[in-house]
Amino acid sequence: MESFISAIVSGLISGSLYAAMALGLTIIYGISRVFNFGHGVVALVGAYIAWLFVQNATLAGAPLLMGILVTMVVMFIFGYLIYLLAIGPLMKKPNWEISTVLFMLGLGIMLENIILQIYGPRVKSIPVFISGNLRFSNIQINWHDLAILVIVIAAILLLNYFFKVTRTGQAMRAVAQSIPGAKVVGIDIEKIFGLTFGLAFMVTAFSGVMLATKFFMNPNIGWDWMVKGFVIVCFGGLGSTSGAIFAALILGIVEALTTLYFGPSWVWPIWFIIFIVVLLVRPQGILGGRS
Amino acid sequence: MLEVSRVHTYYADLHVLEEVSLKVSEGEVVALFGPNGHGKSTLLKTICGLHSAARGTISFRGTDITKSPAHKIVEMGIAYIPEERHLFPEMTVYENLMMGAYNQRARKTQKKNLEFIYDIFPRLKERKNQPTSTLSGGESRMVAVGRGLMSEPSMLLVDEPSIGLSPSMRGVVFNSLEKINREKKITILIVEQEIRDALKLAGRIYMIKKGQILFERSADGVDVKEIEKAYF
Repeated sequence: MESFISAIVSGLISGSLYAAMALGLTIIYGISRVFNFGHGVVALVGAYIAWLFVQNATLAGAPLLMGILVTMVVMFIFGYLIYLLAIGPLMKKPNWEISTVLFMLGLGIMLENIILQIYGPRVKSIPVFISGNLRFSNIQINWHDLAILVIVIAAILLLNYFFKVTRTGQAMRAVAQSIPGAKVVGIDIEKIFGLTFGLAFMVTAFSGVMLATKFFMNPNIGWDWMVKGFVIVCFGGLGSTSGAIFAALILGIVEALTTLYFGPSWVWPIWFIIFIVVLLVRPQGILGGRS
Repeated sequence: MLEVSRVHTYYADLHVLEEVSLKVSEGEVVALFGPNGHGKSTLLKTICGLHSAARGTISFRGTDITKSPAHKIVEMGIAYIPEERHLFPEMTVYENLMMGAYNQRARKTQKKNLEFIYDIFPRLKERKNQPTSTLSGGESRMVAVGRGLMSEPSMLLVDEPSIGLSPSMRGVVFNSLEKINREKKITILIVEQEIRDALKLAGRIYMIKKGQILFERSADGVDVKEIEKAYF
């Protein structure tokens, strides 16, 4: 029983990390309909930038906070420039769906190799922010895991506030729901797309840092992260933020229970069985309204 | 106020507008008639920047807007009310209306404009917290008109406001346009198939056929038969 509850708790924590990671993917897709095939590597670049700040620390703490802030700013600008210089021009051409996918895939491969050149192939990890455990009778939770959960929830709430209340956030929702409608009310679509890429890259980089504090990273782990992200957003409904969060939590728990009862090598097969069943039964995803 | 001069527009290889010229003065209501697929909507879309003119010029209050992007044109005071409405389906009526006041200029007057809209369309006030995906065709049309008004325009381009509406709903929409023109002094260029309704509203008419202006008339004493004949 204790191991069952521990598995649920650890599933919720990895689920919240996957949710954070899937958000960047679903933001870009929901607003611009571009499927970001470089998503995982973008998260990884964020993690490696933050790692620079904590490489000599045993406890991440303040330097990690610095690192996260720098990563987020850098990745926002990077995302904005990628839209401005590449995705934007590609989207004005016929067959932009496939050309943007290939571009992002190529960018991912390039970034992966840049990381490999700079940091080498060895496994790295970002140290935890706080050490120690929290105990409830026989169940124990790392303070670090709890901190991850709190930070991710705060980030999701903040993002939600941004979309609901700010003028730019509302404009992004408007663009997601109707591009001609957005043009008619005077929204500068190009600017909104650029900001969307900036925001999504920033959120993705943030999630990469969080993932790297819980798990490990090497130059090609980004693709694993991305496949997880794909399963989550398709499961939750493409472009649906709440769907992605929900799907990530379910899959996180499934992962933990599978590891507990069948062993870690069964995680991917079971994820994909669920994924295929969802695609067959409910192709729009569990919460997705749009097809 | 608005001057369209020898405009040509294409959809890929299709030559939709040929040498179209038209003028609308301050405060006027001008109706555009013509068969379906002969370029009426394309003309409105070209004016508001959703579509670009290949040749010719469009100027608004003396400024050349031919190459201006749609959001700049809204900021200058032209609001386009699309036939397809293009509302934001997951937002409420209120949120849709407030999105209309997105441009800097409109936000100062958004309260006053919202009151005016609720005044001419009391139904929208009742439904303000409903997502627009749950509205009827007539109510959606009201939101589209209201959202256009929220942008604090000096000119409205209205594309087939009565299409798909019941006769009573049509009356509501036409009365509101009349009120908008009279009370708010907003100039209107309207594309409409209901010739008789539109003639009550308009001071002048243009007839478009095969992408060209066939004739221009004053609406007073215009012969409905003559217009209907031009459709065939």
